[in-house]
Amino acid sequence: MAEATRGEFLSLTTIGLGAMIGGVIGVPATAYLLAPVTKETGFEPAFLGPVDKFTSEQKFDPTPATYVEDAENTATSSGLAYVHYTGQKNTDWHAEDAMFVVFSNRCMHLGCPIAATPGGFQCPCHGGVYDTNGERTGGPPIRSLDRFQWEVRKGSELWITQRWSTDIYGGMVHYYPVKMPGQPTHTPGPGWIPDVLYPHVTYTHGPAPGPVPLPKA
Amino acid sequence: MPIPAPDPKQVALQAEDWIEYRTGFATLIRKFLFRKVPPTGWMHTLGSSLLTVFILQATTGMLLAMTYDPSPNGAYQSIRYITDQQTLGWLLRGMHKWGASMMVILLFLHMGRVFFYGAYKYPRELTWLTGSLIFILTMMMGLTGYLLVWDERAYWASVVAVNINGTAPVLGPFISKFLLAGPVFGAQTISRFYALHMLLIPGAIGALIFVHLWLVVKLGVTPWPSRPLPEPEPQLQPQAGVPPARMPETVAGE
Repeated sequence: MAEATRGEFLSLTTIGLGAMIGGVIGVPATAYLLAPVTKETGFEPAFLGPVDKFTSEQKFDPTPATYVEDAENTATSSGLAYVHYTGQKNTDWHAEDAMFVVFSNRCMHLGCPIAATPGGFQCPCHGGVYDTNGERTGGPPIRSLDRFQWEVRKGSELWITQRWSTDIYGGMVHYYPVKMPGQPTHTPGPGWIPDVLYPHVTYTHGPAPGPVPLPKA
Repeated sequence: MPIPAPDPKQVALQAEDWIEYRTGFATLIRKFLFRKVPPTGWMHTLGSSLLTVFILQATTGMLLAMTYDPSPNGAYQSIRYITDQQTLGWLLRGMHKWGASMMVILLFLHMGRVFFYGAYKYPRELTWLTGSLIFILTMMMGLTGYLLVWDERAYWASVVAVNINGTAPVLGPFISKFLLAGPVFGAQTISRFYALHMLLIPGAIGALIFVHLWLVVKLGVTPWPSRPLPEPEPQLQPQAGVPPARMPETVAGE
């Protein structure tokens, strides 16, 4: 074993002790700070209103409905959904002839709240435009509007139970795990590219449902 | 026989000596405040203006923090209270708000002065780098402070800003989640922004200002980037193996 002078030994001990103290403080501090990044959260089902509140729509005029995910923090967990009544009767949200399409009001450019117009939706911040299917038709957004999975509970209550990001191409609505605004769900080329470049970190959910054809115009 | 009254000047000098002998503060202050500088102008006052505004921001911020409530349900109410009811609250909040804009404006002017004077060159590269870090941190102060007002504009501007972060490839979504302390704007977001705004970032700026000033004093102030007309030099043939004589930039001061 190599010999060390008293001075060298004490220097090494001091450096080692310093590193240990740094680790004792630094490791928990970093873990504490980064915890929200890795923590997974699910979407909390929320009540939108009685079903007959949403069925009077004639032309495209979706009914806005506020919802609260976390009742203890209404200031930050309130959201707005647009409920579009299709005139059909099917209460399976994923069916081609589903009764409602429930859109998120979060613009897919940078997350501003959009407003419904007779021709679809528009965003006041930077001029994003969407058609009545929520498909982006103009402005800076890079994908179509998020949609909510919904169900009718107790025969007459409309609830949203999950949120999905969507992208519309090939005449179909494709569903993806929720991504933040400004992040593509679908790009040309292999499907893993957008997932590696823009991992979805918003909510945990099961596998995304399959694509659904757009309603016939 | 009455004791003669002590001469106040002598007492002050003795007190200074007493402190100087034990701390060296008098030397420190003399070297910092009474150092030699080259001929300077108004352009050289931008850095100390910035320091003044930083001290203003730190002081008013500390006072505002005593009343401010960083919670989703209380933040806006406490801002209203500071503005409408607290004695001179409107003034302190106004100073903090306008001081923030002033700091950014002065930063750009100061950086511009340093750039156009060529003051970032050898041997002052690290002064420029620490200044650049202070610039980035000041921008982060602007971002985190904007949310704290917690009105509609603050909320949606911060939503947009966080989502701009999210559009960076690979790490972007994680940065967004880190800033929001969760998947979406939540109860922890505002306290996180508050802690960043009043503890972490100002602490880092303060430490960097110390290093920045240390370098300014050590290396001296850059003079005007003017030089006298070159005198006609005798034509010399460069000799092989002998590098051309090269003078460092003029280092003024000590």
